[in-house]
Amino acid sequence: MQSDLVLRVAGESGEGVITIGETLCKIAAREGIHIVTFRTFPAEIKGGSCMIQVRLSERRIPYHGEGVDFLVCLNQDAVDENLPDLKEHGVLLCEAECDLPEKNPGWTAYKVPFDRIATREIGSRISKNIVVLGALSHLLSLPKETIEKFISEKFARKGKTVLDHNLDALQRGFDFARSHLAKKDSYRLPKGSGRKRLLMTGNEAIAIGATAAGMRYFFGYPITPASEIMEWLAAHLPKMGGVVLQTEDEISAICSVAGASWAGGKSMTSTSGPGLSLMSETIGLLSMAEIPAVIVDSQRGGPSTGMPTKTEQSDLLLALYGSHGDATRVVMAPTSVSDSLRVTALAFAVAEKYQLPVIMLVDQALSARLETVDRETVERLPQGSRSCASPADGAPFVRYQLGGSAVSPAALPGTQGGEHMVTGMEHDERGNFACDEETHTAMTVKRFRKLAAIESDPLVAEFCTRLGDENSEVGIVTWGSSAGPVEEALAIAKGLGISAQAIIPRILNPLPHQELKTFFGKVKRVIVPELNFVGQLATLLRSTYRIPTIGLTKVKGVPLAPSEIVEKIVEAESTLNARSTRAYGRAG
Amino acid sequence: MEELDKSCEYLSGVCPVWCPGCGYYGILSALVEAFADLKLPTKELTLVSGIGCSSRLPYFVKAYGFHSIHGRGLPIAQGVKTANPELTVLAVGGDGDGLAIGGGHLPHVARNNVDITYLLFNNAIYGMTKGQFSPTTTLYPVTKTSPFGLAGEAINPSALAIVYGATFVARGFSVKKEHLKELIIQGIHHRGFSFIEVLASCSSFNTTDMNVARIVKNLEMIPEDHNPEDAIEALRLAADQEKIRLGVFVRNQRPTLGDKFQEMRRKAKGKGAANMEALLGQFA
Ligand SMILES: Cc1ncc(C[n+]2csc(CCOP(=O)(O)OP(=O)(O)O)c2C)c(N)n1
Ligand SMILES: [Mg+2]
Repeated sequence: MQSDLVLRVAGESGEGVITIGETLCKIAAREGIHIVTFRTFPAEIKGGSCMIQVRLSERRIPYHGEGVDFLVCLNQDAVDENLPDLKEHGVLLCEAECDLPEKNPGWTAYKVPFDRIATREIGSRISKNIVVLGALSHLLSLPKETIEKFISEKFARKGKTVLDHNLDALQRGFDFARSHLAKKDSYRLPKGSGRKRLLMTGNEAIAIGATAAGMRYFFGYPITPASEIMEWLAAHLPKMGGVVLQTEDEISAICSVAGASWAGGKSMTSTSGPGLSLMSETIGLLSMAEIPAVIVDSQRGGPSTGMPTKTEQSDLLLALYGSHGDATRVVMAPTSVSDSLRVTALAFAVAEKYQLPVIMLVDQALSARLETVDRETVERLPQGSRSCASPADGAPFVRYQLGGSAVSPAALPGTQGGEHMVTGMEHDERGNFACDEETHTAMTVKRFRKLAAIESDPLVAEFCTRLGDENSEVGIVTWGSSAGPVEEALAIAKGLGISAQAIIPRILNPLPHQELKTFFGKVKRVIVPELNFVGQLATLLRSTYRIPTIGLTKVKGVPLAPSEIVEKIVEAESTLNARSTRAYGRAG
Repeated sequence: MEELDKSCEYLSGVCPVWCPGCGYYGILSALVEAFADLKLPTKELTLVSGIGCSSRLPYFVKAYGFHSIHGRGLPIAQGVKTANPELTVLAVGGDGDGLAIGGGHLPHVARNNVDITYLLFNNAIYGMTKGQFSPTTTLYPVTKTSPFGLAGEAINPSALAIVYGATFVARGFSVKKEHLKELIIQGIHHRGFSFIEVLASCSSFNTTDMNVARIVKNLEMIPEDHNPEDAIEALRLAADQEKIRLGVFVRNQRPTLGDKFQEMRRKAKGKGAANMEALLGQFA
């Protein structure tokens, strides 16, 4: 029996495609199966083709799978668009009316009149997706009672008629499959550990990570693909005593965050590229005034309005450098849904401890994908807090102490004897504006010393990981959600007898210099896979470490495929012995 | 004498950077006298500003001060008040700061009825950047960036605040210090968003629009019998072209943003337990 199943459901938006996929995920997560999904969104509000791909596995998986084992198509367009991705010996389950190409490389095809069963037999066209689930539960040996329980939970609120329709639909789909479709393939649901897993999207993980970290003040402006973070928090943060306010724009959002944070509350906003562009000036203010803030950017495709529903990793340089002057900030990027939980908590820990803005970059694909998360992840989140002063009576409070630690204790408004100014202007130790050369130099150094301190803080130690064969000379540096396909590619390459290794920093500013220098000292090739055109991480690495890089970039609005990375690994490996090369480390 | 000493306790000791003859000095003294009258503890006093000559004010006051970026004082003040409702939060800024670059925020803090007091220093010019026209420039059309006259009509700040639904709208004049002090006291007392337009002359770049002699000649106090809940009448008074009306145009009560947040918390708590375990339940 296979340990891993890649299933894709495709159809038209509005046909319940996503519900089929999500129901499968819910059921599998309860069985303790590991899940990673990928879904596309039509650009329009109604209609347009959409699909959800679900990879289910007995072990932890980093990627949603390349090539489909089991394809479910609700209409002809879906067949035409998705059949090329079906593996040679894969299974196709489709609407009975669909035409299939004459040439069949070896797949098994099952046809079910979903439309007819739903409209004629049940009398409810919208129950079609539940008929599909019924057929699937027979073909994949899904635990039917669990599905029934799940459907009962989902439709209970809609009244008995609706619930009965859906239970009927499930039964009829199941019965049709059992009596008409002789199982000719061997695919079935992988075995679960039996230990229930949590199932959530990247956006939900961010919202939960923030709530767990003690964030209670959220200000934001709706934007795809980040809105769900605010929507989840709007529904749940008030339960915890917090507040969510939809502001008039992103400038107001980040400024409200600045105010709430200065007053002592852990505060956050989330947005996408267009919003981060608008926030640039305030990021400089947060840096200058030394105020903690967490800003989440779920990146989408292209400049300007670009491709709002597509994924890309093209805001790295904006996050690193956006805002005038030498404005300090930390930039982080989680790689998966469960990583998003941890890195969000880390963002708060670092922002509070070091009193500066932290920008966390995710992307559309990561924001929207469902993934299983172990409950323990939530229980072991990084923690850090703001150092607060107890000001001496009489003496004026010194907010920006020079000398000693780069972080000076804050006095929250309301603290006796702590009256002081914070300002976006260059200032002296007390916060009064000062434009002399010594002060500006000293204060700039103070702000940048915080970054150096973060780099060596044990808090961040586990947030740079190494993968693959530590002795390999082919190296990969990647970031964010591209880490998934890289991990998968390393495994595939290993299967082909090719070794490679990867380093994945979650903190991109300040870079983990020690780890990277060690890495560059070992490898002779550095491939940098990322989803943007110019190679933004590659640019950063080249300018920081003066090393040549091999770019692997893509701007198609979808994640990198492991095979694309494997190809690069093979290519890089083949050049290894062609000419003598030295390790990169010494160039650093 | 004792009065004077009390208000001096609210001065930080930092010397104001304003030009000699600047109308802002009058606003500063009215402000600290209002604080002294109210006996506000300085530790709970919070002043937020944007950028401009007017926005320098927080440095001169003994309080918690946040001198931020151009046009953004209001949303920052909204954040401060949200995170610590115990604080007395004031926002100050210029006509350019509040009506040009930051003009998009005013309608929203007004409709949210954020419980803060906002002093808009109307000198009808950009003082800090040395003499370009502002959204309220009227009688002095030839400025550094309008050598051939103004393209647009002037905005009337108080009228705008009334239309935006601010629950307290008043206009004062930097020279009428006692009156201004009273307005500030009322504004701070008011539960909700208090908007106070303060006319002040810029001695360096526009002595025409806010010319003291001209204002004194044209000013008229809002009649005693004006009903501050009558927004239409308030608008008529604020928009008066003949006379410059001083006093309280609007005063009415409705829930503040803080009240709404409390209500949301209450409703949300009815929908589920307040702990992480319960929140995670929906993902199981
Ligand atoms: C984003 C941005 N644009 C422009 C400026 C330059 N600037 C500083 S103050 C100011 C106008 C000040 O006028 P006003 O708000 O009326 O305040 P006043 O100085 O008259 O009190 C301008 C344009 C800036 N600091 N930031
Ligand atoms: Mg002005």
